Amino acid sequence: MKILTTVKKVVDVELNIHLKDGVIVEDGLQYVINAWDESAVEASVRLKENKGAETTLVSIGGGDNSDMIRRCYAMGIEKGIHIDDPALAKADSSIFAKVLQKVYEKGNYDLVITGKQAQDTDSGQTGIILAEYLGLPCVSNVIAIEVMDDKHIKVSRSGDDGTEIVELELPAVITVDVSINEPRLPQMRGIMMAKKKAIDVMDLAALGTSPDDVGCATPKSGIVEFMASKMRKAGKKFEGDAAEITAQVVNLLANEAKVL
Amino acid sequence: MNPLLMSLLLIVGLGLFGRTMYHKILLLTALEPADRAGHIKERLKNMVILAIGQKRLVGRKKEWASGIMHALIFWGFCILLIRSLNLYGEGFIKGYQLPFFGDDYMLGYLYIALKDIMECIVLLMVIYAIFRRAVLKPERLHNTWEAYFVLAMIGVLMISDLLHDGARYNLIMLHNNPEQLHFFNNPRYGSEFLWTPVSVGAAALISGVSADASGNIMVSMFWLHIMTQLTFLNFLPLGKHFHVITSLPNVFFKNLGYPHEKPRLLDLEDESAWENESLGIKHIHQLNWKQGLDLYTCTECGRCKEVCPAYTTDKPLNLHDFNDKLKFELFDNADNIIKRAKLSATKKENGNTDLTDKIKAEKAELNSKKQLIGDVIAEETLWACTTCRACEEVCPVTIEHVPRIIAMRQGQTTMAEAYPKELNKALKGLERNGNPWGIGYDKRADWADGSGVKIMVDDADVEYLLWVGCAGSFDDRTKKVSTSLVKILQKADISFAILGVEEKCTGDFARRVGNEMLYQMMAKENIEILNNYKVKKIITACPHCFNTLKHEYPQMGGNYKVIHHTELIDQLVKTGKITLNKSLEGSLTYHDPCYLGRYNSVYDQPRSILQSISKDGLKELGRHGRESFCCGAGGGRMWMEETIGKRINLERAEEIVGRKIANVAVGCPFCLTMLEDGMKELNKEEEIKTQDIAELVAKNMA
Amino acid sequence: MAKVLVIADIKQGVLKGSTAELLSKAKSIGAETAVVAIGCNINMLIPNLVSAGSDTQYVADDPGLELFSAGPYASCVVDAAKKFDANLIWFGFSENSKALAPRVAARLDAACATEITDVMLSGDQIEVIRPAITNKVIQRVKVNTKKLVAVVRAGAFEATKGIAGTENVVKLSPPEQDLKALIKKILTDASGEIDLADADIVVSVGRGAKDLAGVNLVKELATDLKAGFGSSRAMVDAGLMAHNKQVGQTGKIVAPTLYVAIGISGAIQHLAGMNGSKVILAVNKDPEAPIFNVADYGIVGDLFEVVPILREEIKKIRH
Repeated sequence: MKILTTVKKVVDVELNIHLKDGVIVEDGLQYVINAWDESAVEASVRLKENKGAETTLVSIGGGDNSDMIRRCYAMGIEKGIHIDDPALAKADSSIFAKVLQKVYEKGNYDLVITGKQAQDTDSGQTGIILAEYLGLPCVSNVIAIEVMDDKHIKVSRSGDDGTEIVELELPAVITVDVSINEPRLPQMRGIMMAKKKAIDVMDLAALGTSPDDVGCATPKSGIVEFMASKMRKAGKKFEGDAAEITAQVVNLLANEAKVL
Repeated sequence: MNPLLMSLLLIVGLGLFGRTMYHKILLLTALEPADRAGHIKERLKNMVILAIGQKRLVGRKKEWASGIMHALIFWGFCILLIRSLNLYGEGFIKGYQLPFFGDDYMLGYLYIALKDIMECIVLLMVIYAIFRRAVLKPERLHNTWEAYFVLAMIGVLMISDLLHDGARYNLIMLHNNPEQLHFFNNPRYGSEFLWTPVSVGAAALISGVSADASGNIMVSMFWLHIMTQLTFLNFLPLGKHFHVITSLPNVFFKNLGYPHEKPRLLDLEDESAWENESLGIKHIHQLNWKQGLDLYTCTECGRCKEVCPAYTTDKPLNLHDFNDKLKFELFDNADNIIKRAKLSATKKENGNTDLTDKIKAEKAELNSKKQLIGDVIAEETLWACTTCRACEEVCPVTIEHVPRIIAMRQGQTTMAEAYPKELNKALKGLERNGNPWGIGYDKRADWADGSGVKIMVDDADVEYLLWVGCAGSFDDRTKKVSTSLVKILQKADISFAILGVEEKCTGDFARRVGNEMLYQMMAKENIEILNNYKVKKIITACPHCFNTLKHEYPQMGGNYKVIHHTELIDQLVKTGKITLNKSLEGSLTYHDPCYLGRYNSVYDQPRSILQSISKDGLKELGRHGRESFCCGAGGGRMWMEETIGKRINLERAEEIVGRKIANVAVGCPFCLTMLEDGMKELNKEEEIKTQDIAELVAKNMA
Repeated sequence: MAKVLVIADIKQGVLKGSTAELLSKAKSIGAETAVVAIGCNINMLIPNLVSAGSDTQYVADDPGLELFSAGPYASCVVDAAKKFDANLIWFGFSENSKALAPRVAARLDAACATEITDVMLSGDQIEVIRPAITNKVIQRVKVNTKKLVAVVRAGAFEATKGIAGTENVVKLSPPEQDLKALIKKILTDASGEIDLADADIVVSVGRGAKDLAGVNLVKELATDLKAGFGSSRAMVDAGLMAHNKQVGQTGKIVAPTLYVAIGISGAIQHLAGMNGSKVILAVNKDPEAPIFNVADYGIVGDLFEVVPILREEIKKIRH
């Protein structure tokens, strides 16, 4: 089984995000692997370890991603492709999906595993759109994978009414939730070996396509500006007669927060 | 008496002993190197105080009786060695006298008197020891037939010598010395028997027998004594009584300058280390010779487990058992370890790669068939240790338990990748944001907002760097300690600054859980920043940071004068920079943090500060000072689940509650969290306030 | 004129409130409205669809649509969107919506935006507002296509009363089954307890509950709320809660709509596991407990007193 895993480098969400003139201030930020993608990598590596799958990862854009890719190597990924092209600077999910489509078509993969969303946009579209472009079956929000045979896998999807068990015919695309696994922390042996591995870095031309071909000239949407969001802070604290304040709070939960 | 028999006995006895010892020593030399060279004076001093002086046996109030018992047996034995030499001489030459110990010398008389009384004392002690084992049965003791056998042999040695001398006395004094036996009778000092009342007493017990019978008793007791002694000598290396021979060298070679061997700085770029799996201890042959000697020396006295926070709360960590298992694994593999060492020597001589590959394969064959962690030592045993060092502090023969555990954890983490996975979040947090909670590094200095604290990047022209630590920076409770400390420093007009967002975890907990790579990464980054600001002096409120900055950063080129905040506050009080009010109401006690006390011997300064603020003085806990009880958070345990047995912090909190204390002072953020949590669990957080010394000082400062 | 197609949010045969909210918003911007309802035996919901504010009702009612399957469901939405010629296709917030929206967008060659909180129209130009980076920032996104498929974040729009539409039912022909992704079954949590990870409401219990009796008291609250039931590390350590119930640094990370922390002081490890929750309610007797620094609503009081009252009040409000 050949697996393609997508990884994205995102801003570390533990950090405070500062804005100036509608854009994010880069100073002091650090970029890390998207948590959902990290779970996708872990899921792929487990399929490699348990089922002998071949693992390839692809990352798109963001300049030099070699530290992130090597970290994935250290986790156990065998091959890494990095598509970097200045034309991708303003790419949206559809463009990413188009690029991934090109990567997929060159590689003859059986399964694509992506994180269900990226921590920087929280959009959750790329994997699903890719499946549509490729005409492949797709299950999102996967929390367990079981290999049935060469051509079929069974996945659990955390759906609205419970856990859905879906049988998928390969090739297929799945997007995974972080609860699917606890990604390993790369240890020395892996880190040492990862240092020596090559990364296949290419631009769109080398991939056999062009900015226009993947829609760079006509993105379907684009961010105009960023605005500050309300940070979590101390809300209303009630002290006094238990019956009175509790009734008050329940009323607020129902009518102000609308969560009851 | 009988030179032929004596020679035969000596040749067989010493020959066998020599052969055993040769193998034991050969095995040690086949183990990994350990640098214990030099500093002869200091080593001798340790040996005199700890081994010969039996400091840790007689010096513990809790166990003075058994301590004195052991010391008397030990000292008695030392004294009787001279007597033994004399007896061996007697075997060859009738009436043999050791030089300077004959009847021409006062020394000779003094010696026989001392020997006489010591034999009696040792005999009494042996009886007490047997009584203690059989009747009192202290919990820590591991009762075996071996222990009784050895005690019996010691008893036989004493009795045989006393009866030998008694029979000799009877022959000389009652039966007119038919065999012309020699005895001390220098007119200046009088008859030998005036000096040996115990032997004379023994003589009275057997005075009723005939001259012939007395002669027989004397001869048989002589040979019984000699044979028992040679048997004893040969028995020693076979079991826990090997300590009789190895204690002295073990104490002599004890680590100097730091309580135990520091974790080894591993060369993480060395690929051959990978292939040999020689990062940390993953195989029994990777012990160093001193660790081997430690195993030889363990007497199974059980003091280590008695003070161990893990053992006493029912975790599967029993240190003397740990030693025992390693020792048997070492002995089981002795031949292969020696073969391996020979192969390594060949490899060094021969650069040929084919040969090296062949040797590699051969070496792999020589590995123990057992997994060191898993088959010999259980995983949960390895991870139960809090690295508190209580075991090492009470060990009479200075065995270094903790470095071995850390080295094994290194093996597990770096090579086997088998470690408690709940550590991953904390380790990942360290990797990304320099703190185990994984909180954004950019918030590290938020606690200091509006406090007027300088940041190094703005002004590095200060006397001290205040190393805040992760807890002091990110944990809401501990932030209050940081704020209090700042108040004190500002009051005393100390020139200081913090690193702010440039500070990262020192890496202490990563190192204790065996993640040497992450430790080195953290250390390297911190040292670069510290050296860049030319930092000379560091204050810190966290004993873990303190210990790492002070003792472990020098290994990587970070040399600073590091001072714990309690030491500094003590100085400030003594030099009048701050004045304390005796205004703290209610009883007060102090919980010693392991990394401040046992690791760094800071015991007095915190107490001196507390005495200056407490109206009611300081009330010590049962377990305090060197034998203080861990809070349960050290050795990376803070970041692991504690699911087996009773929780350590609860055990400590109960001890405090039992002492009817109103205030608990601590000097460590982890102790603060753990004890406060314990109090909450016991519903005592209102009655018993747990606070850092800095908080108490800030509140009771003029 | 904008044409808004709202995907009816039907769960277990019930039309959820979000449908009316989205239709209300559509009406408020002067759009022509339609709704598409997909499922099995849902014809009886048509009056509800009308009263929610739709003027046209596309209904795909087929036994093959009983269980959610993204492919066929997307086909129904695309079919309706094409028939209606919608330029705005809105989903209410759910896991299924998140699975459908990108597919529908790809098939319609339209832009897709998830978790939007607002939409602005000026002429042909569409812009949306949505949070990103774990709610740390808000994005204003310009849509470059004529059509937009969007998932609307829960609670973003309000339903207005008396906006009932007109009945104009259009039956959709059932789509082909997706044989390559066959849904076999849906497991609801076997133990009857709601899984923490996807619970809308999570109630967690901390050391304040003291013992098993305290835990059970709080658990009843969780049962009332049909909430996932979690705990702080202390309770797991004390053996009062199972390990897989621990919310926090070494346990589960949850982000429900409502997080109720009972008797939890709010150790940093715990906060790391739940601070993504939409609304946090904390009950603790210590007014200085750090949990109040992140709680939207805090009740200072003894949980043994507060929890029973809380249960009563919630029952009242839900009746």
